[in-house]
Amino acid sequence: MIHQAVYLTDCDREPIHIPGLIQPHGVLLVLQEPDLTVIQVSANTFELIGHPPKDILGKPLLALLTPKQIAAIRQCLSEDFEYMNPLDISIKREAKLLRFDGIVHRQNALIILELEPRQKSQKADFFEFYQRVKNTITKIQKAPTLLEMSDAVVKEVRKATGFDRVMVYQFDAEGAGRVIAEDRAEALTPYLGLHFPSSDIGEQAKQLYTLNWLRLIPDATYQPSALVPAHNPVDDRPTDLSLSVLRSVFPGHLEYISNMGVRASMSISLIQEQKLWGLIVCHHSTPRYVPYSVRTMCEFVGQVMSVELTNKEAHEDLDYKMTLKSLQGKLVESLSQSERFLDGLIQPDSNLLDLVSASGVAICAADQIICIGQTPPEAELPALRDWVKTQIQHNQFETRSLAQLYPAAASFKAVASGLLALELSQFHQNYIFWFRREVVQTVNWGGNPNNPVEVTDSGETRLSPRKSFEKWQETVQGCSLPWRACEIEVVTELRSLIVGIILKQADDLAKINLELERSNTELDSFAYIASHDLKEPLRGIHNYSNFLMEDYAAVLDADGVAKLNTVVRLTQRMEDLINSLLHYSRLGRAELSRQPTNLAEVARQAIDTLSISQPQSSIEFRLPRSLPTIHCDRSQISELFTNLLTNAIKYNDKSEKWVEIGFTQSDSGDPEDPLLYTFYVRDNGIGIPPQHLERVFQIFKRLHTQDQYGGGTGAGLTIVQKIVERHGGKIWVESTLGEGSTFYFTLAARGQS
Amino acid sequence: MSEASVTSIEKPPILLMIEDSNEDFEAFQRYVRRSPLTIPIYRCVDGDDALAFLDRTGRYADPQSAPRPGLILLDLNLPGTDGREVLRKIKQDETLKLIPVVIFTTSNNPKDIEACYRQGVNSYIVKPMDFSRLKHSIQILIDYWFGTTILPTNVVEPRQ
Repeated sequence: MIHQAVYLTDCDREPIHIPGLIQPHGVLLVLQEPDLTVIQVSANTFELIGHPPKDILGKPLLALLTPKQIAAIRQCLSEDFEYMNPLDISIKREAKLLRFDGIVHRQNALIILELEPRQKSQKADFFEFYQRVKNTITKIQKAPTLLEMSDAVVKEVRKATGFDRVMVYQFDAEGAGRVIAEDRAEALTPYLGLHFPSSDIGEQAKQLYTLNWLRLIPDATYQPSALVPAHNPVDDRPTDLSLSVLRSVFPGHLEYISNMGVRASMSISLIQEQKLWGLIVCHHSTPRYVPYSVRTMCEFVGQVMSVELTNKEAHEDLDYKMTLKSLQGKLVESLSQSERFLDGLIQPDSNLLDLVSASGVAICAADQIICIGQTPPEAELPALRDWVKTQIQHNQFETRSLAQLYPAAASFKAVASGLLALELSQFHQNYIFWFRREVVQTVNWGGNPNNPVEVTDSGETRLSPRKSFEKWQETVQGCSLPWRACEIEVVTELRSLIVGIILKQADDLAKINLELERSNTELDSFAYIASHDLKEPLRGIHNYSNFLMEDYAAVLDADGVAKLNTVVRLTQRMEDLINSLLHYSRLGRAELSRQPTNLAEVARQAIDTLSISQPQSSIEFRLPRSLPTIHCDRSQISELFTNLLTNAIKYNDKSEKWVEIGFTQSDSGDPEDPLLYTFYVRDNGIGIPPQHLERVFQIFKRLHTQDQYGGGTGAGLTIVQKIVERHGGKIWVESTLGEGSTFYFTLAARGQS
Repeated sequence: MSEASVTSIEKPPILLMIEDSNEDFEAFQRYVRRSPLTIPIYRCVDGDDALAFLDRTGRYADPQSAPRPGLILLDLNLPGTDGREVLRKIKQDETLKLIPVVIFTTSNNPKDIEACYRQGVNSYIVKPMDFSRLKHSIQILIDYWFGTTILPTNVVEPRQ
């Protein structure tokens, strides 16, 4: 009994092309030229052709077959035997004529003739063969996709052969397999979508599959028939059975299929560019013989499908690329239409995930990371980004097993085993990370886990699809589906498109800035020129009112003179307003002349000027500590202090008035100019009602009538605000009604260059 | 030359006022008239008119209609060719640049003031809004230029 319990991988160690055994449903004869002397036969000759090996060995073939048949064999050998097989061979056994399909091929110097008994019902009707094949081939060619073609093929092959289950099994780049199409009897557990490790089919087996387009095992529980003698006498070595159709199967494989509950199996190779792309695998739960003619048809279907593979794949690739292109186009469109670059990326219709068939995406900007779909926890992302930065080459980085390179990723390998990173800007730390889930997360065992299909052998099943699947799952731990070349390509292109958009936006922004600058300048000169033009008629009113008083004083009564005086007073007020506007507009336009300025001195001068102009009021000026020296426009800052101090004194009804000028310092956060001062001018004046706090900085906004608090144009604080803003600072006010106000403003020690 | 100086005594220098505002011109005239000096005043209403007067072109082709002024009073903001351009043309002309130019304008823009002095103006007066100050300014202007200084008119005229 020849049965070894072995793992499938053993077939990589054992030479499986020289088993010295055949499957017993046919006989094998090894012939030597020139007389076609039988030098080796399978031990089952008596059972099938009625002659024991010892009767045949050493004799020419003529002893067994008619000269006509031998001529046919010779004819076959002289031509390409693939097109001639099978030969119609008949052998007389007593009164009966046994009919066989004769399959002949040359192996080195030897000729191997294999005879399979021909079924009685079997018709070798070429026309029928042609009809069936033609129909199948049309379906294969018409199928728009690889999967649809595979679906068509499994249905056709099952129809032609009557197997319980027919599958298309595809190898990936690592040699692991996946069932991509299946047609089966209702009762069977589906295998569709299952994955198997590359160890399931060893390299040797794959090599044989590329040599033989078709392999048939009519009964997996067969007792193999040995070759007699074991070594062929020509070179005293086991005969190479690589091309033999009867070659005995590697025992591990038999165990494997038998554990699946399979008694008969047939496989048809799918070969693309001389490499085994996949297999059409047929299974049957009971022994099943497939006649040579049907096998030829199936083989032909396999060959046609092999040819079509390249077409379909190229087509699908093209379709996928087109889809990616169109997604890319939409994305770029939405990017170019959004004000901010990030907004465009995170729009729900931006298809960022579909672009590379990712399950999650993280968009890293300088100050934030935005996640879409399934991504690692946000807390992990900054560290990941910093690591990716060190890995990026040519703006990209991709892996299908992140945790192997970046161990911290092990905790989130389920959602992010695959990473495709795109660097948009190293300087701005702009990155897009696409994530792919661990492949085992997306693929589950298709069968019912409570209803195992495996036949348990002696209480322990070592070889079964389910075990295989588990083994495959182990091999792809921490791995995602690989990133395809066209996906990486689309991302590379995306970068240049995004860079293009950013450049265009920067360009637009520069244009807008220029436009803004121009319109600001125009506005300033408008204010200036308009003010001048306003002044001219105003001066006319002023002068003519005075002319009236000079020339017609005698005619007018006191009331008339008083009204003219009001007109004159109003023209003067109008002029004050226009002058304030002019001053304000000039502040916006004038270049700052920054110089180191001792603010203590500036404040002192402002206080002195105020004290001189208002000698009647007694005001206490408090300076808790000496003000610093900063880089600023001296005359503007001087005006700032004067305005704030004037207001502090003006809007004060206390008998004991005081004004305090002080400052605090803090870190501005700018390494170039780290020292930021916050100055304050505090008074014990009338205060500002909370509802007016915002309005005090509005130009010409006054909270009191002209008759109160000495009047004024209402431009003082607006000018103060403008000066602070032009120095890059901020101004605000805090106030308690009736108790006083504090104006705060910030100025940097060095000021902006 | 001595004859020329005699001529100058007989013929008082002319004042050319380049001013677009009728009201401003009237206010000016009002106080010049009160001066004891008799000063012939010519007025141009805009820059182009002034340049035609000074170049004696267009409606000023007859030299009699456009005598050489002894002093030019120039407003800066004028319709058409504005005062700054008129000033530039005057100061680029070898003959005209001898005539003193006094800017009499509403503009107190430091840039204008600097630019005008750089072009060589002899005085820059900002029109005061205040009525009494206006009166005062005009009186001083007339007294100074027509009573105190000697204008180059006499030197320019004989060349014709």
